[in-house]
Amino acid sequence: MDQFLQQLVNGLTIGSLYALIAVGYTVVYGIVQLINFAHGEIFMIGAFGALSTYLILFQGQTSLWVLPFLVLGAMAASVGVAVLTERVAYRPLRGAGRLAPLITAIGISVFLQEFVRLFYDKVPGLDFPSAKQKIPFPQIEVVTGPAIELGPVTIQRAAVFTIGCLIMCGAALWWFINRTRTGRGMQAVSQDPDTAKLMGINVDRVIVVAFAVGAALAAIAGVAQGLLNTNINFKMGFIAGLKAFTAAVLGGIGNVWGAILGGLVLGVLETLAVQFLPGGSPWKDVWAFALLILVLVFRPQGLLGAKVVDRA
Amino acid sequence: MSTITSSSTTTGRERLGLRLALAGGALLLVSGLLSWSFEPIFGDISIRLWPVSLQVFAMLIGLTAVALALSPTVLRRALGWVHAGPGLWALGIGATAYTALSLAAIAVEAGGLINANEGAWIALVGALLLLGGGWMVRDRPRAPEAFSAQGPATVEIVTIVAICALALAAAAYALGRDDAWVFVLFLLTLGVIGTALARAEVFEWLGGAAGRHQHVLTLGAFAAAFLFPFTQDGSEINMSIATLVLIFAATAIGLNIVVGLAGLLDLGYIAFLGAGAYVGAIFSGSVSSSIGWTPPFLVTALMGGLFAALLGLIVGSPTLRVSGDYLAIVTLAFGEIFRLAMFNLDGNNGPDLTNGPNGITAIPNLSILGFDFGESHTIAGVELSRAANYYLFMLFITALIVLIFARLNNSRIGRGWVAIREDERAAEAMGVNVFGLKLLAFAGGAFLAGVAGTVKAHYDTSVTPDQYQFLESAFLLAAVVLGGMGTIAGVILGAVVLKLMPEKLRFFSEYRLLLFGLLLVIMMRFRPEGLVANKRRQLELHDDDQDRAAQTDRSPQTKEALQ
Repeated sequence: MDQFLQQLVNGLTIGSLYALIAVGYTVVYGIVQLINFAHGEIFMIGAFGALSTYLILFQGQTSLWVLPFLVLGAMAASVGVAVLTERVAYRPLRGAGRLAPLITAIGISVFLQEFVRLFYDKVPGLDFPSAKQKIPFPQIEVVTGPAIELGPVTIQRAAVFTIGCLIMCGAALWWFINRTRTGRGMQAVSQDPDTAKLMGINVDRVIVVAFAVGAALAAIAGVAQGLLNTNINFKMGFIAGLKAFTAAVLGGIGNVWGAILGGLVLGVLETLAVQFLPGGSPWKDVWAFALLILVLVFRPQGLLGAKVVDRA
Repeated sequence: MSTITSSSTTTGRERLGLRLALAGGALLLVSGLLSWSFEPIFGDISIRLWPVSLQVFAMLIGLTAVALALSPTVLRRALGWVHAGPGLWALGIGATAYTALSLAAIAVEAGGLINANEGAWIALVGALLLLGGGWMVRDRPRAPEAFSAQGPATVEIVTIVAICALALAAAAYALGRDDAWVFVLFLLTLGVIGTALARAEVFEWLGGAAGRHQHVLTLGAFAAAFLFPFTQDGSEINMSIATLVLIFAATAIGLNIVVGLAGLLDLGYIAFLGAGAYVGAIFSGSVSSSIGWTPPFLVTALMGGLFAALLGLIVGSPTLRVSGDYLAIVTLAFGEIFRLAMFNLDGNNGPDLTNGPNGITAIPNLSILGFDFGESHTIAGVELSRAANYYLFMLFITALIVLIFARLNNSRIGRGWVAIREDERAAEAMGVNVFGLKLLAFAGGAFLAGVAGTVKAHYDTSVTPDQYQFLESAFLLAAVVLGGMGTIAGVILGAVVLKLMPEKLRFFSEYRLLLFGLLLVIMMRFRPEGLVANKRRQLELHDDDQDRAAQTDRSPQTKEALQ
């Protein structure tokens, strides 16, 4: 039982990360029916944005007040790149079928990974470490350090931070979607883009906002991942992105609350599978992807039911 | 120039433009005979009347320019159907880029522009004249005989065979270049001439000719590919590159059945190649294989293909329920599962089958009916090395795959695939067995990749999980997309470009993936149908483009011609 509780906590931690990233997939999919394959890379760029902010402004600092600036730096990097890719690569392809945007997304994904790998240490005037190997992520007081013992369960401080982020982001997202004009505009566009346009909603702007919201949450996940793992690398976005996509599908793609639920469920199932299924941690990803295939085959609308059941 | 009068539609401005272009082309031709540099670089371009490398490329461009510029007048009988205006305009731009890059190359290699001699400057003047002339004639209307052009059968056949021979010569030449500048400039020359001819609508004619003499084209292409090892005279490095290209191309054609014909995006295709390779490796008698049994290779190849096809059926079965983007993700997840499973079946984390991350090594060479692929053989005085043996064997398999692709494409099955690709529900309503045909596409494509994989295992001598990661699937997809979905010529072209470039350009290999990602984005943005477009596919991807539709209606014989 103790072990079960411990794995549950670990699963919720990793699941919160998946959930934060998965929201980006599901928001964009709900509005433009595009699998933004490069979203995992947006998450990775968030982590590098936070690291860059730290290296430029706060080298050597460990106090808690640095953390909000790191998050802001991460968001600036992620949102900037996400909006740029939308503008340059996806927008011209709108209405060009489904194959072309997906292939474009793969291209962007590879490009962003390689761009960070090749050029991170070549920024003129700055002395950044090479991204060709793992880079240690700054450790901040309070959110990292000795783990908290809660009875039989050990909780990393960064895990508390991650779960806390998910709760706050979830609340902010609920307020944004239901209580702001832009958020209601997003709902309208995802229900019927043509009618929404006739009602005077600027669809292009809503799409940019969707990309930006997803990127902001992915950036927070990037910071959390850096604190949890204590290091980051240019490849971290690929598997994380794939897992988060699995979470989005599991919850019902297009449904924001589904993405959060799916992320948590996936994280918990994954850690429990490692604990209780034969084979152990090397097979972790296999179970996750097998789950993705099973969900797509037997319940493509996901746990909470997607708005769109794909028939393209 | 009294013949100009015969072209009644030519305006004065166009006449001037044609003459300028002619002069530019002639200058480019002459410049090749002059000295380009004071330094003996690039195979010694400093000697007069002895054109090499850069000079020869300039002469090739000049020759094309002269032919295009004379096509409405002197050569009207033979080349009157050519759409000279846009062709010359494209050639002018390309020639200017070429001469500018050549000057840059000379400046870098010889230390400053001061080392460029008169030939290089005359070439630049010629290119600029060509550019100006091309600009003047760029709106020149199509010749009235453009779409009815159909030469005598012998001319067409000779042209096709000549083109196959030229392709062979170009491939052999490109592989032999050690200097990165010369290699890049040669590729640029090919690109420039190719683009100019495409703009001049030469390929439309060629497509028609190829369609009328398909067997000649196929046989010619394979004869050229067959003769390739004999031009390399035992060079193991070049032959091993060629063999890698061929394995890649064969796999890409298999993927083209799934993506290009049936329109199912498969992001885990490399797993099928891997499945075949693992079967080939496990039954090869390698010491690190866990199974001692070594059947004859033909049996192993069949088993590899069938195992891959079985996996294909498993991956394909969700197609009943999911489609479009979801299917792509299912195949991607499957590819990852395959790689991770091969990684983990090492005896520690699961049953010992694949030797885990170390893979199966020391796979012996193939031996079919007593013919040992590991030994060199001398045929007609030319030594055929180990790689050449594999090359010829892979060529045979590629020929089979091309044959299967072509026959399927023109069959009831192929038409069913096209129908599913264009509109699944309409196809179903018309009585097409959608699920069965999708499964067939998956299983068939997987089978071909599996067979290619068994050969690849023996050729590489080792099989590891990392050879079959997602990026390789993306590379295969890029070859299909770059070349042109649904065409064979295009996919082979894409495979050659994607595999040859990193092998020949060392400085390029570091930025290979970066450029590859960029390439995918740019291709999707500007030419989603690929370099060699399948006409039908082109219409699907540009279905709002009335102009293109009208154009295709006028030349129905070119439809799907280059397949």
